[in-house]
Amino acid sequence: MDIYFWFFALVAVASGIFMVTAREPLPGALGLLTTFISLASLYLHLHAPLVAIFQITIYAGAILVLVVFVIMLLMTPDEELSVRQYNLSYKSMGAIAGVAMTALLLVGVRGIACIVGEKAMPSDFGQPGLIGKLLYSDFLLHFEVVSVLLLVALVGAIYISKRNL
Amino acid sequence: MVAVTLNHYILLASVLFGIGAIGFVTRRNAIILFMSVELMLNAVNLMLVAFSRFKADMAGQVMVLFIYAVAAAEVAVGLAILISLFRHVKGVDINRFNLLKH
Repeated sequence: MDIYFWFFALVAVASGIFMVTAREPLPGALGLLTTFISLASLYLHLHAPLVAIFQITIYAGAILVLVVFVIMLLMTPDEELSVRQYNLSYKSMGAIAGVAMTALLLVGVRGIACIVGEKAMPSDFGQPGLIGKLLYSDFLLHFEVVSVLLLVALVGAIYISKRNL
Repeated sequence: MVAVTLNHYILLASVLFGIGAIGFVTRRNAIILFMSVELMLNAVNLMLVAFSRFKADMAGQVMVLFIYAVAAAEVAVGLAILISLFRHVKGVDINRFNLLKH
């Protein structure tokens, strides 16, 4: 099963780099789609089938379609969408900040992983029924708060995108 | 080849987060900035699911579902703001979004 992990990890990183360096936003969106799908495959490798399905339907299905819709809406032929950050200080500072953030995250989370250790996996791990039980018992308050958040976001999005704000 | 452990997933998620962070700082196109934020959110999701698997605790997967809801709300509001800004400044170059500066 190792080759499975390495293949999809490589695809995820390569398409992530492609997305960040793409000249036009539309190829970048396709690179992001590839990252989402390879991450969904990795979720299957991690015994999380429900999360993998939601990754495909919500991210690759809903969110990315919305992003592509906005790209199509805003892209006009005479618009210079491919202009880059020519100021070198942005690039160097961005690279330093990104690499430092990655290193810090890696060291910190690896330390946490050493502290908490690993446990053997029970045989029924990752069953959608168990997630549903957790969602409606331990995380019931969070569930309600998230539903209110979605309602507020819905109202806010409609209000902001009104023509005469 | 060594077996895949939690450390491999931590490395992968950190690298994906770093790519997203570098893209967020160095690009000027607001839509690509937006997609970089999505990449960073996905890196955190991967880390949560990996910890959930290797700690044998299902709570991590439930948290990922909540992050999906928050990401959907963020995308809806963010893209609405982007469209509204586009109407004002006629572009998606973030260096032209300087209405509060002047």
